Amino acid sequence: MKILLALIKKEAKEILRDPVTLATAIFLPLILLFLFGYAISLDIEDIPVAVYDQDKSQESSKLIEAFTSSGYFNLDYYIDSFIDVDKVLDRGQVSLAILIPQDFSQKIQSGEKTNIQILLDGTFSSKALIISNYATAVVNSYSRQLIENHLAGKGISLEVPVKVIPRVWYNPPMSSVNYIVPGLFAVLLMAFPPMLTALSIVREKERGTIQQIYVSPINPYLFILGKIIPYGFIAFGEMLLILGVGTVWFQIPFKGSIFLLIMMSLIYVLCTVSIGLFVSTITKTQLAAVLLSLIITLMPSFLFSGFLFPITSMPYMLQLYTFVFPARYFNDISRDIFLKGVGIEYLWSNMIALLIYTLLLFVITSLRFKKKLA
Amino acid sequence: MQRVIAAINKEFLQFSRDKMLILLILWTYTIEVILCAYALSFDVSNLRLAVNDQDKSQISQRLIEQFTVSDYFGKTFFVGSQDEINNLLDSGDVDIGIIIPPEFSERLYKGRTSDIQTILNGTNSNTANIARSYVLSIMETFSQDVFRKFLHTRGVDRNIPYVEPEIRIWYNSELEFRYFMVISMIVVAGVLVGIIHIAATMVREKETGTVEQLIVTPLRKYEITLAKIAPTMTIGLLALIPSLIIALWFKVPMRGSILLFFLTAAIALFSSMGIGVFISTISNNLQQALLISFFVLFPLMFLSGTLVPIESMPEALQYLSYLSPVRYYMEITLGIFLKANGIKILWPKLVSLFAIGVLLFSFSLYRLGKKMYV
Repeated sequence: MKILLALIKKEAKEILRDPVTLATAIFLPLILLFLFGYAISLDIEDIPVAVYDQDKSQESSKLIEAFTSSGYFNLDYYIDSFIDVDKVLDRGQVSLAILIPQDFSQKIQSGEKTNIQILLDGTFSSKALIISNYATAVVNSYSRQLIENHLAGKGISLEVPVKVIPRVWYNPPMSSVNYIVPGLFAVLLMAFPPMLTALSIVREKERGTIQQIYVSPINPYLFILGKIIPYGFIAFGEMLLILGVGTVWFQIPFKGSIFLLIMMSLIYVLCTVSIGLFVSTITKTQLAAVLLSLIITLMPSFLFSGFLFPITSMPYMLQLYTFVFPARYFNDISRDIFLKGVGIEYLWSNMIALLIYTLLLFVITSLRFKKKLA
Repeated sequence: MQRVIAAINKEFLQFSRDKMLILLILWTYTIEVILCAYALSFDVSNLRLAVNDQDKSQISQRLIEQFTVSDYFGKTFFVGSQDEINNLLDSGDVDIGIIIPPEFSERLYKGRTSDIQTILNGTNSNTANIARSYVLSIMETFSQDVFRKFLHTRGVDRNIPYVEPEIRIWYNSELEFRYFMVISMIVVAGVLVGIIHIAATMVREKETGTVEQLIVTPLRKYEITLAKIAPTMTIGLLALIPSLIIALWFKVPMRGSILLFFLTAAIALFSSMGIGVFISTISNNLQQALLISFFVLFPLMFLSGTLVPIESMPEALQYLSYLSPVRYYMEITLGIFLKANGIKILWPKLVSLFAIGVLLFSFSLYRLGKKMYV
C-alpha cells in the first residue's frame, strides 16, 4: 500500500511538472466537444437548388413554390442555359438542379403527362438519397394536387387516401446534436487518457528511466496500478467536465439516472487508461505510441463504434470487428441513458463487456511487465 | 547541392530505422482505407418495421407490401397493439412503427383521407431522416396509385394532367457511399502523416539537442527543412500507389487526370507539413508536439468535409473551414475522381492549398531563424 502511494505521488509530481500537457489534456477535449457538437451535423435543411425554368408559366412557378415551401429546399440560382446547369453542379454550388421543360404548362392544361428533370449531385450519397426522396415526394404531391383540381373542376371530390403523421420519439426535433453529443463522450474519452498514459510509460522507456523500475523490487501489478490510478483520476475529472458542460451547453435532454451514468463512465475511464498501458508495452518510441493509440483508440471509436456510422449497415464481419473496441459499449450506454432513459436492466450486458475488457487488459499488461522484470 | 543530398540521406536513414512507424503509416494508407470503405456508410438499409394493422383489409395489406418489398426495409413485425410497438422501439428492436387505423379501407373507398401514424426512432437523427423520407415517398406513390385506379374505375382517367419526376444522379449514379469514403480516407491519411511525422522529427531533434549540431553545419535553414520534409514527402506519395490500387479495387471511378491527382497530393502534403513544422516551433518536447498535432488534426479533418458535408455546418464553421488545407485537398480530389474536373476549374483551390503551405512554412522558418541566431 505504501509503495502504491509512493508511486502515485511520483506520477502526480511528474504530471504537475508539465502544466502545458496537463492543460492540453483537460481543455482540448472541451474545445473538441464544442467543435464537434456544432460541426458534425447531418441535418438536411436549406438544400441549395438551381432552377432552369424554360416554361416561365404560372404552373411552373407553382411547382417551384412547392419545392421552396416544403422547408427542405432553398432556391439559390435561377439559370438560363444548360451550360449553367453543368457549371453550378460541377462547382458544387447546388445539390440539385430542376429542369422544367418548355411545354410544361401546355401539357398540364391539355391533360397530358409531362416530365421534369431533377439532376442531383451524388457525391455524398446518403445526402443525395434523402434529397431524392424529398424531391420525389414534392413532385408527387404537386402532381396529386393537379389531379385533385382537375377532378374538382368536374365536380368530383377526391381526397388523398393516406396522410402520414410522423412522430419522432426519443429525439423529437431529430437534431443531430442530441445524438452526437452523448456519443462524443465516448469518443473524447478514448482520445486523451489512453494516449497520455501510453506516453507516460514510453517516455520513461525512451529516456531509459524505466530501467530503474525494472531493477527495483516493485510488483508489476502495483506499478501498473500506480499508473492507472493517477491517470484514471485525470480522465474521470475530464469526463465529469465534458459531461456537465456538454449537457448544459447543448441542452441535451437527460432522461435517465445521473448516478448510473457516472458509475458507467468510471468503468469506461478505467478501460481507456488500461488501453494506454497496453499500448505502452508494445511500442518503443513516443511517436509510434501516439500513432498506435490513434489507430486502436481514436479512429475506431470515431468510425467503428456506432458514433456516426450505424453499425447495422456494416457487413457482418465488420460488425463483429466493432465489438473489439470498448467505445461501442459505452456509446450505447450513454445514448440509452440520455435519450431513452432506460435503466440497468437494458444496459447490463454492455457494462459487463466493459468490465471484462478492462480486467483482461490489466492482466495482460501486468504479465508483459512481469516478463521484463524477470 | 552535395550537402543537401547528404542531409537528405541522413533523414532517410533515420526514418528507415523505425520499422513500427513505417508499418503504421502504411496501415493508414491501406488497411484503414479498406476497412472504412467496407464498413462505413451513412446509407440506411434493412430498416426494421413494426406494423399494427387495425384494418386488416386487402388494401391495408397492399400498403404494407409497399414497405416490405422495398430494399430499404428488412424485418417486419406484425403486432396487435400500439403498446407492442412502443416496447419494440424502447428495446431498440425496430426503427419504425406504423399504425393503420381500423376504418382505413372504408374511408379509402369513399375517397376520404386516413391518418397513418408513423413512429420513428429519432435517436440517430440521420437514420430517422432517411427513414422519414422513405416513408413519405412510399406513401406518396401509394396515393398516386390509388388515385389512378379510382379514376380508371370511374372512367374519368383520360386527359388527366400528371407530372413525373425524372431523377438523375450525377457523378455517382449508383449512390455508392464507398467512393466518397475511399477518397476521404486517402485524403485523411496524407494529412495525418504529413502533420504528425514532420512535427515529431523536428521536435525530436530539438529534444535530443542535435538541433544545435544541425545549426552549426553550413546547411541553410531551408536546406535543413528540405532534408526534413523529403522522407515524409516520398513515403506520402509512394503510399498513394497502393491507395490507388485499393480505389481501383473498390471501382471508384477515376475520371480526371492521375497526374493532377499526384500534384494535388504533393501540394497537400507540403501544406500539411507546414502545419507540422509550425507545431514543432511552438512545442518544447515531443509529447507536447504529438498532443498538439493530434488535436489540431481532428478539427482540421472533420471541419473539412471529409466526414460530413460542410453545408450542414453552422455558417461560422463553414467560413472557418476555408482556412483548412484539408478542405481544398478533399474538394479537389473529389473533383478529379468523380467529376473529371480539370485544372481550369480547380486552380483557385490548388492555389489556396499551396498558399497555406507557403504561409505556414515561411512563418515557421522565421520563428526557427530567430531561435537559431539569438
